[in-house]
Amino acid sequence: MSAGARTGEIIVDQVTKEFGDLRAVDHATLEIPGGEFFSMLGPSGCGKTTTLRMIAGFEEPTAGRIILEGRDVSYVRPGKRNVNMVFQAYGLFPHMTVNQNVAFGLKIKHVPRSEIGERVAEALRTVRMDELADRRPSQMSGGQQQRVALARALVNRPAALLLDEPLGALDLKLRKEMQLELKRIHATTGTTFVYVTHDQEEALTMSQRIAVMKEGVVQQVATPRELYERPANAFVAGFIGTSNVITLKPDAERDGMGIMNLSDGDRICAPAGLGGGREVKIIVRPERMRVWGDPDGERVSRVHGTIAEVIYLGSMTQLIIDLKTGERVTVHELNDDLKGALPEIGDPVLVQWAADSGFVIDDVGAVNVARDAATPE
Amino acid sequence: MVELAVPRSRNLAARLARKMRPFWFLCSPMGVICALFVTPLIILVVMSFQHYSIYNTQSGFTLDNFRVLFTDPIYRGVAKDTIMMATTAMVIQLVIALPLSYFIAFRAGRWELPLLLLLVLVDELNPIVRIYAWRMLLGREGIINDFLGWIGLIDHPLDWLLFTKFSVILVLSTSWVNYTALPIYASMKAISPHLFEAAADLGAGVFTRWRRIVIPLAAPGIFIAIILVYIPLFTDFATPGLVGGTSSYMLGNSVADLMLTTGDWGGGAALSLVLLGAMAIISVVAYFLSRLNQLD
Repeated sequence: MSAGARTGEIIVDQVTKEFGDLRAVDHATLEIPGGEFFSMLGPSGCGKTTTLRMIAGFEEPTAGRIILEGRDVSYVRPGKRNVNMVFQAYGLFPHMTVNQNVAFGLKIKHVPRSEIGERVAEALRTVRMDELADRRPSQMSGGQQQRVALARALVNRPAALLLDEPLGALDLKLRKEMQLELKRIHATTGTTFVYVTHDQEEALTMSQRIAVMKEGVVQQVATPRELYERPANAFVAGFIGTSNVITLKPDAERDGMGIMNLSDGDRICAPAGLGGGREVKIIVRPERMRVWGDPDGERVSRVHGTIAEVIYLGSMTQLIIDLKTGERVTVHELNDDLKGALPEIGDPVLVQWAADSGFVIDDVGAVNVARDAATPE
Repeated sequence: MVELAVPRSRNLAARLARKMRPFWFLCSPMGVICALFVTPLIILVVMSFQHYSIYNTQSGFTLDNFRVLFTDPIYRGVAKDTIMMATTAMVIQLVIALPLSYFIAFRAGRWELPLLLLLVLVDELNPIVRIYAWRMLLGREGIINDFLGWIGLIDHPLDWLLFTKFSVILVLSTSWVNYTALPIYASMKAISPHLFEAAADLGAGVFTRWRRIVIPLAAPGIFIAIILVYIPLFTDFATPGLVGGTSSYMLGNSVADLMLTTGDWGGGAALSLVLLGAMAIISVVAYFLSRLNQLD
């Protein structure tokens, strides 16, 4: 084993995959330490599934290498890499029972009979399917089939488990349950999990780190919190959580803040050391905008607007507001903070937010680093 | 005032007429089956118990026809040959059809439909013409012998290519490959391709893939193919007649001879019924085996 190889470590090294003219994956580089729950997140066609399949061995990279536990496996057959995949369509063998399905991989490796029995039972216990060991796939629900597929992969004790949008076919409640189940199983087994999804909430729930991809290019790799609070560009900011885009044309600059003055004492401020009153866009998270209460911070942007929609969600309310600048923003307010009745559609309202809760997006969509150099409170 | 609705079923005559409707629908197909199938079968059964002489006259009830079939050693020999040749041809067809169906079902891409079409068109050619073409290929002065002599592989033309058991099995094996392949193809299409990826991921090689996934899941199709093809193989008389010569005589030929040459309609009918019975048993067994997959 070469130096630095730990159990379950995966390195995707400058991998490119082309299908004819289409470049599905473009110089993707990922380093996944052993035992991590790592997700690849992005819209359809972003290359996340193709990358996963290259790690699994179902596709060969056009350029670049896949390195598993220190070994270059770019062209090795799927069955000969120490990884197992859980497919979106489960792929359970319909003519075999749960036991036989789970034992399949072990039988091929000529594991002794007695050991097979033990390991299959253990795997089924881990996914809590031990009661249904003699059922056929057609006699089980989607969620149960999903767990069996998981057990079938885990029983081989792979260095890494690859999951291709496994929860897509389940209903919402079951999906949320399974998300927590997967987290629990990951913690129990300590196997590296590589998870692909287009659902950002799902990725945020389960992952330790996430790679956000768009059109074959990795946009940012970071922890959920970093992705949300410090997105690398407009795409990531827009993909993770909701974001409001405000256009700012600064009239003046003071202490590294661009200030645009509007009528009636309204103004928009943002950390913008760009120089020369150029127009910039800023992104503000909905929970940073305040409607019933005042934001913290010295410099505060304030804009009047009208309420377009009120969406009551139990613990919080989403307010969709048309600002007098013409932009439509979403504001999240906690219902605990509300004193009095809910606002109604058409009510005039004042929206405020702290100046440095917005991040500036420049022309190419990258977040302006100048924000970090802004005057602290 | 709203008029009371009267259910149509009140009227007894109408009720009766409605109950008889399924019967009328079945009448025409049942009538066809009766006329074309059941009636000749009954005639055959009656004939088999009659004694026919060479002058085509009948006389009283007899079990002789059946007795001769089971005691005469000639029939036993022919039966043995027939079983051997038909079974060998069936196995060869399966060996050809399985990879062929697999290829068309999973690997053909946009050639899938054209290939299927080709498979069906193969049978459009008149079988007699096709079998005759084999004679031209296999004969002493046929194309194969000419070619082998021309490239210097042999000095004298090969005798065993035509008018032997070899030629019968060869021609039988190629006659119904498309009917063998089609049901197998159909059952393979029902296999989700995800299963192959899942199996590969778990370490299955080609052999394991076939043994544990393809064959078990295509089994219904394989048995249907057997039911469809084994019977014509067994009762064929054109093939052994044209390319079999004197050494390969099959039960189909026996029936033809009994009916057409000897005029022993009783014997011919009896043999036909025995063959029918044997085929029925094989079909039923194969049918139940094909449903093994779906038990519980």
